Amino acid sequence: MTMFFLHLRNELWKLFGKKRTYIGFGVFLVAQNLMLLAFRYSKWQAGTAKLLESNGYVGAEFISALTVALIMLLPQVALLMPLYVMLVGGDLMAKEAEDGSLRMILARPISRLRLLFTKWLTGVIFAALLVGSLGAMALVFARMWFPWGGMFVFVPLPGGTPIFNVMPAGDGLAYYALAHVFLAVNTCTMLSLAFMFSCFNMKPAAATILAMSALFLSVVMEGLPFFEDWKEFALTHHFRTWVLVFGKPIQAAQMAQSLCVLAGVNVTAFVIGAVHFHQRDIKS
Amino acid sequence: MIELRKLGKRFGERWALQEFDLDVPRGEIFGLLGHNGAGKSTAIGMMLGQVWPTTGAARICGHEITTHRREALARVGAIFETPVFYDYLTGWKNLAVLSSYSAPTSAKRIAEVVEWVGLTSRADSKVSTYSHGMRTRLALAQALLPNPELLILDEPSDGLDPEGIHEMRLTILRLREELGLTILLSSHLLNEVEQLCTRIAVLNQGRKVFEGSLATARKTRSEVRLKTANFGEAANLLRREQLIADARDGAFVSPADGVGTDRIVKRLVEAGMPVFEIVQEEQTLEGFYLSLMQESRAAAAGPPPLKAGAEGATP
Repeated sequence: MTMFFLHLRNELWKLFGKKRTYIGFGVFLVAQNLMLLAFRYSKWQAGTAKLLESNGYVGAEFISALTVALIMLLPQVALLMPLYVMLVGGDLMAKEAEDGSLRMILARPISRLRLLFTKWLTGVIFAALLVGSLGAMALVFARMWFPWGGMFVFVPLPGGTPIFNVMPAGDGLAYYALAHVFLAVNTCTMLSLAFMFSCFNMKPAAATILAMSALFLSVVMEGLPFFEDWKEFALTHHFRTWVLVFGKPIQAAQMAQSLCVLAGVNVTAFVIGAVHFHQRDIKS
Repeated sequence: MIELRKLGKRFGERWALQEFDLDVPRGEIFGLLGHNGAGKSTAIGMMLGQVWPTTGAARICGHEITTHRREALARVGAIFETPVFYDYLTGWKNLAVLSSYSAPTSAKRIAEVVEWVGLTSRADSKVSTYSHGMRTRLALAQALLPNPELLILDEPSDGLDPEGIHEMRLTILRLREELGLTILLSSHLLNEVEQLCTRIAVLNQGRKVFEGSLATARKTRSEVRLKTANFGEAANLLRREQLIADARDGAFVSPADGVGTDRIVKRLVEAGMPVFEIVQEEQTLEGFYLSLMQESRAAAAGPPPLKAGAEGATP
């Protein structure tokens, strides 16, 4: 067990020693501040206040740091998060194989399965940290520009009822934190997908592109009315769990179902990757 | 230390290695020779459990590599051509990372190994600042970390300058003399193999075409330099009496099997031919290797096609 933690620690050293690991963190930092500038100095505030007031709420109470942080998360989670998580996931095994360091590692008495599991776990830790940092940064930066107050949530869902809710600041913060747990599950799934391709004999970029393609395919499937009856098979359909947290009432059964599906996808991706990697010949 | 039995590997329709038997006893520096694509790296890959054999079995340090990988590789170190490290980490951190794949390794042990390879002053520098020679030394350090009994070196001098090659050669000798290691050396540099190894195996197109001591290799097809009053007449006499198999260049004869230089001298003197000089010519490894490759290619190509008009040729 000591060896496992030592190995995990060193894999984390390797991952966080690389500059490209921090690209995602840096881009989120820039994107969030640009979005905050837009929120602060555009007509967004007036439009949101009008929407709230037309529903019987006092707009000023809910145009707050929590509301802005959540709105900022939506495009970042949909567009940037998959890119950066899959970039790292696609690198995990394929980069070692491409560079030639995998041969040096596999000259050691370590089982391929343990190597893979430690690598995957390292990726999962990265994904969780990225999600946590994204949420924390969004909240901190939003608080610098907007007051602390109640939370207003309005998220249109493709092919479903929009999430509309208002809540006091305390509840809002709790749900905001809970949403990040579900968001972490989503990013782990994205990472597992890229990791699976990374275990095959291909370039890191190819692994990332294949994983991204699978995700885009899922988005297309989910969005087209033709696939309405098949939407349960779309991975992105189950990624919406994190916004369902803000629903009223919370759709616990649907969320549990999606979590089970995502857990299954994670395990399946790992097993496929591991089985192929185990059979592979590692050559220079 | 290394026992290979009928080891074979097929990639698609092509056999990269076939029926490869090899025994490397403890304490030996064993050379593995062959052209590019002869199957050396595939064989090493199978010894290290990186390539799955199609046929046969490999036992390393007494353990079957495919089923008991952990035990087999516990005391094995390896260096590959063009050593690759994590450039953004220091040399020390690289060693710490790589040691975590084997067994807990103390900082003291890492320091010992770093000192042994002469990298102490640069251990805390990033590997991106290392020269090729320093990377090779770092590769040696990582191979020595698990306190190995067996060291597998795949083209360790690849890319080194002459000074670096010389240093590597001395280091390999030090490894055996100071640490008592068994070493399998795969190399293109025949000169290097000649100076280091006691036994060699030669691979050609995936098949072993020779295994034996370096002394045997040198004596194989050995020739005798003969200086006499009339070389042609002497050669004809010796050939008639089946004392030699061949003669060439007006100076060299190849004694027939079991015939020593004493019998050649005796017969020439009896025939009244003065012998001014007779010297056993030892073949260099390069000469041996090249003739072996030619023979193998000729054997693989089969008998040359008969020319039109030759006996037995069909019109």
